[in-house]
Amino acid sequence: MISCTDFMAEIANYLDGEVAADVRSQLENHLSHCKTCQVVLDSTRKTLKIVTDSGSFDLPEAAFKPIAERIMARIRSARR
Amino acid sequence: MGYFREEELGSSFPPFVAFLDEFGFVPHVFRAQTILPRLIEAEAALLSTIVLKEQALPRIQKEYISLTLAQANRNTYCVTAHHQMLRLLGVPEQQLDRIFGDYAQAGLSPADTDLLSFTLKLGTIGPFVSRDDVTGALAHGWTDESMLEAILTTALTNFLCTLSTGVGAAPEFTPRQIPAIGPSPFFAKPSSEGSSGPYLRAIERNPADFPPFAFFVDEFGFVPNIFRAQTLRPDILEAEASAISTVLLTGDVLTRLQKEYILLAVSAANLNTYSVAVHGEMLRTLGVAAEDSDQIAADHHQARLAEADQALLDFALKLAVQPSMFSRSDIEALRSHGFIEEQILEAVAMTSLTNFLNTLQMGLGATPDFAPRRVFRPDPAKIAHLSAPAHRPSLAERPVDPDAEIVARVRNGDLDVFEELINRHSRRVYRTLVGILGNEDEARDAMQDTFLKVFQHLGDFQQRSKFSTWLVSIAGNTGLQRLRERRHLESLDDDVSASEEGFRPREVRAWADDPEELCSKAEIRALVEKTVMKLPAKYRVVVVLRDLEQLSIEDTAEALGLGIPALKARHLRGRLMVREALSPHFTGGAQGVTV
Repeated sequence: MISCTDFMAEIANYLDGEVAADVRSQLENHLSHCKTCQVVLDSTRKTLKIVTDSGSFDLPEAAFKPIAERIMARIRSARR
Repeated sequence: MGYFREEELGSSFPPFVAFLDEFGFVPHVFRAQTILPRLIEAEAALLSTIVLKEQALPRIQKEYISLTLAQANRNTYCVTAHHQMLRLLGVPEQQLDRIFGDYAQAGLSPADTDLLSFTLKLGTIGPFVSRDDVTGALAHGWTDESMLEAILTTALTNFLCTLSTGVGAAPEFTPRQIPAIGPSPFFAKPSSEGSSGPYLRAIERNPADFPPFAFFVDEFGFVPNIFRAQTLRPDILEAEASAISTVLLTGDVLTRLQKEYILLAVSAANLNTYSVAVHGEMLRTLGVAAEDSDQIAADHHQARLAEADQALLDFALKLAVQPSMFSRSDIEALRSHGFIEEQILEAVAMTSLTNFLNTLQMGLGATPDFAPRRVFRPDPAKIAHLSAPAHRPSLAERPVDPDAEIVARVRNGDLDVFEELINRHSRRVYRTLVGILGNEDEARDAMQDTFLKVFQHLGDFQQRSKFSTWLVSIAGNTGLQRLRERRHLESLDDDVSASEEGFRPREVRAWADDPEELCSKAEIRALVEKTVMKLPAKYRVVVVLRDLEQLSIEDTAEALGLGIPALKARHLRGRLMVREALSPHFTGGAQGVTV
């Protein structure tokens, strides 16, 4: 029998579809009678989607322009 | 130029005279080692006996072995050099292009093609070589003498690939671009269990009247089986004895112990049971407890070693198994631990010699002289770090690098197109730096440092990994350096496995069916950014690269210099921490987000 701790350890692999068939069936067996792990699995899946969709730490193209210009100026002056 | 200062050895330094005579030039891989001429002498003797002297295998055949293996190792320096050698030997350009495209379709005889398949397998995934591979080649009519030379040439090629990376050798001819699609070298045959070696015929020799053996008895008290398996070529044994004496036993630059540590740690990374057993025993005779040797082989970070020696082993392991990530900054890192140039060069030579001995042993099937305390099995999953795209790419699977053309143009002096590289990768570099530094202003600042470093070191980029991966690794190093400078307690190097155990979720209330409906996009973004910023750096960077930047597992591991299991562990922990922090905002009953 696998425990909740075992389940937590495999949760990312499970979500990424990277567990072998026998491990998978053991995990699903655990899941079928463990409410806590059901919640954690569901919320982890939703977390991933939220993080990926959030567009965090992205800057508009224009924000990079002055940085690129500064770098190119440094490079050109070093070569002269 | 190379990583080490070059000294004038005079026009009569014998190895250089021999190179000029043989090739018309002195290869840079040797010129780059003039601060320790004894190394050049030992290496020249190996090259001369193994490759230049024609006995069983023709010289061209040996160059084909070296060219295809250097190509599989994605070592531009060695590819360019062997290409030139084959030209000098009169192989037409057209035939060279065919070998370079796909040696199996190059019109070679079936026996020649099979020999190259064998040497590629030995050179890239050696632990998978079994007696069947060797007997298969013997059945094609290759003699024991030719097979011994083929194995030695393979080992020497790996030696020179590691060495040229470690000394920063620059191609002396127009660099040959390594095509993205290349040979698929392997017999897809599983190793048969229990087929221990030695695989080739050897002649029993008595140390009393066989000088190479007398050397081993004098130095080690016995003749290791790896050398007993090569008695068909006493001249090569002499050259190997002299290389071991010069590189391993000379203790005035690095100590003998430091060099044995390198041998042990690199052999373990190469899954070489033989060398780990033999050198574990040698360390015991030098006064190191077996438990300590075992720990160095298992994970040197946990071993009782001085901080400088830990850094020395980090250096050697990166050079041996992650050559595509190796650069001048690794040399500088050792320098900052107090190592002098001569010592760093010796570490390079010792690492290269270890790759030579490991490859040689796996081809010969020599059995350990002492009962191994640990047997390394070539489990395909566990060996992934040896054969993964990062280090030993399976060329067929590697897509063309979309940046290769621009990189080549910048290297040829067209500075202006560098701006295109900045434009393409700004976002990724910025996110990497935010991930490490946890501060947007500082990330912007560090971006400039990163691209300037990339520009300065573009000559060191060997195209064995994708440009974008290499760039992210430089961004990573730049970010880490800044973290250290502000004496931040955060580190990406902490042992993660301990904290991994026992992570228990605290938030176990069910989430809303459609949590993203609960608040606006801007609110969610602000919440995610705040949450990610609060993670410890080692988790933050993995979450940013994998989940935001959506880099592949392999590319992230390569860029951060982590193994895949360690990366996955951090990623899991990071994701669960984010889940924990987001949970109060998205459970069914919660209304809106407070940032």
